[in-house]
Amino acid sequence: MVGLSLGEKNFIKGGIAQDIRTDGRKRLTYRPIFVETGVIPQASGSARVKMGATDVIASVKAELGKPNASHPDKGKVSIYVDCSPTAEPTFEGRGGEELSMELSTALQRCLLGGKSGAGAGINLSSLSIVEGKVCWDIYIDGLVVSSDGNLLDALGAAIKAALSNTAVPKVQVAANASLDEQPEVDVSDEEFLQFDTTGVPVIITLTKVGKHYIVDATAEEESQMSSAVSISVNRQGRICGLTKRGGAGLDPSIILDMISVAKHVSEQLINKLDSEIAAAEACEEE
Amino acid sequence: MEYVSPEGLRLDGRRPMETRQLRAEIGVVSRADGSAVFEMGNTKVIAAVYGPREVQNRSQQINDKALVLCEYSIANFSTGDRMRKPKGDRLSMEISLVIRQTMEECILTHLMPRSQIDIFVQVLQADGGTRSACINAATLALADAGIPMCDLVTSCSAGYLNSTPLLDLNYVEDSAGGPDVIVGILPNLDKVTLLQMDAELQMDTFENVMQLAIEGCKAVANYLREILLEHTKKLESCRGV
Repeated sequence: MVGLSLGEKNFIKGGIAQDIRTDGRKRLTYRPIFVETGVIPQASGSARVKMGATDVIASVKAELGKPNASHPDKGKVSIYVDCSPTAEPTFEGRGGEELSMELSTALQRCLLGGKSGAGAGINLSSLSIVEGKVCWDIYIDGLVVSSDGNLLDALGAAIKAALSNTAVPKVQVAANASLDEQPEVDVSDEEFLQFDTTGVPVIITLTKVGKHYIVDATAEEESQMSSAVSISVNRQGRICGLTKRGGAGLDPSIILDMISVAKHVSEQLINKLDSEIAAAEACEEE
Repeated sequence: MEYVSPEGLRLDGRRPMETRQLRAEIGVVSRADGSAVFEMGNTKVIAAVYGPREVQNRSQQINDKALVLCEYSIANFSTGDRMRKPKGDRLSMEISLVIRQTMEECILTHLMPRSQIDIFVQVLQADGGTRSACINAATLALADAGIPMCDLVTSCSAGYLNSTPLLDLNYVEDSAGGPDVIVGILPNLDKVTLLQMDAELQMDTFENVMQLAIEGCKAVANYLREILLEHTKKLESCRGV
C-alpha cells in the first residue's frame, strides 16, 4: 500500500472527529454490502460478500467423520481463512499466514464458543448422527480476494450467508449395527436439511481513531487506528465473542461503551444482512 | 468408459472441437493495478497484477529488465475433495514457474528496468484446464494494468480419448488416463510459447491434437480481443472521450 502523507493522515483523523469520513460516511455507517450465494457449486454452501472494495468468499463443506472422544454427541466445525495474494502483494508465499491465523482464530472464537463447545453460534449437537461413531464434519473455508479494511466483519457476514445457503444431506443409519462396529450410513442425494442460522452471530469491528470509534474502516482508516475491538453479537442482542486488537490501552469504560454501540449497530447490520441474503437466495433460485 | 458417444457428443454435451463456455471480466480487484476473472466452463480463476513497482528484494533486481514474479494458489474449496494446504506444494510451484516463463516472454521487460511485476493467480473453482485459464486470466490482467506486451498469450488444452481428438478437457476427461496436451501461443505472431504433454501418443496423432489445441487458443484469443475492446469502449465513455 502506498504510504500516507502527513496531510492525508490529518484529513482522515479530522474527518472522523467531525463525523464525515473520507468517503462521506458517518462514523457508524457501513459501506454498501453485496451478497451473492451459491458461488461455489461443489461446496455444500457458499457465499461471496463485498463491502466496498473488500471482497471475500466463504465456502462450507460437510463431510462424514468421527466425533471427538471428549464430545461424542457433537459434530465438528473447523474454520480456516486464506489470504490470497491477489488482495495484497505482501500475502505472497507465507506472507499472509500471520493474518490468516489471526482471522481464523478470531472467527473461531466468535462462532464456535469456548473449548468445551459451550455457547457456540452453530448448534454442534445437531451435527451428530450416531453418538460416538458418526457425525458431520463441517469445514468452513474463507478466502480474501480483495482487501480494503474490515476483513473480520466481511468474513463473519460471508460465513453467515454461506451457512444459510448450506444444505446438509439427510442420512439414514442402518438399524442393525452392533455396538462396536462402524454403523452403515446412507447419505441421501435427494433430501437436504437447511442449516439453522438464527443463532449465528455477526461480527462488528469498532476501530478507535483519536477519540472516536468508527465502524467498517477502510484500509487507510485502519492504518491510523490506535486499537480496535471486534464484538460478535447475535440476533437476541447477546455477545458471543470479543477480541481486542492493537497496542494502545483502552479505558474499561470506553470498552463498555463500545460494546453498547456495537449492540446498537448490530441490529441494523443483521437486518441488512438478512434481507441481502434472502434477496441473493431468491436470485439464485431463478 | 465412453467419453465420446456414437453420435459424437461428449459427457457434457459438447462436440469434440468445441471449447467450454468462456466468460471473462476485467477489473475485479480494485486494489490491484490490473485484474481479471476468467472462466472456462466450471473452471474459474482470478488474476491480479501489481506493477511495475520497485523491486522488493534488492538482490533480485535486474539492471536492464523488469523482474517478473508469479504465484499460483488454489483455494481450499476449489476441488471436489477439500484440499489441505493451499500453498507451497510442488504442483503449485511448478505451475507458478510455467506461468511466469510464459508471460515473461511476451512482456516487453526491457522497457521497465529495475522494476518488478507481480502476477498472482488464484483458482476459485478447478474443473480441468486450470493452467490454461490462469494464463488467459493473466494476459487480461496484464492488459488491464497497461503493461506493454508484444502480443496476447492464450492457452488451451486438448486430449485424445476414444480415438477422437478432444478440445478443452474438463476434470473428468482429464482424469480418464488419456494424453493431455497444453499449448500456449502468441496468436498474432503465430508462435508457440508453451507446450506440455503427459501420457503417450503416436506422432501423427500428436500433430492433430496439437493443431486442435492451437485452434482452440486462437478461438480464445478472439474472445479476449472482444473483451478488451468492450472494456476499452467503456473506459472511453467513462472519460468522456
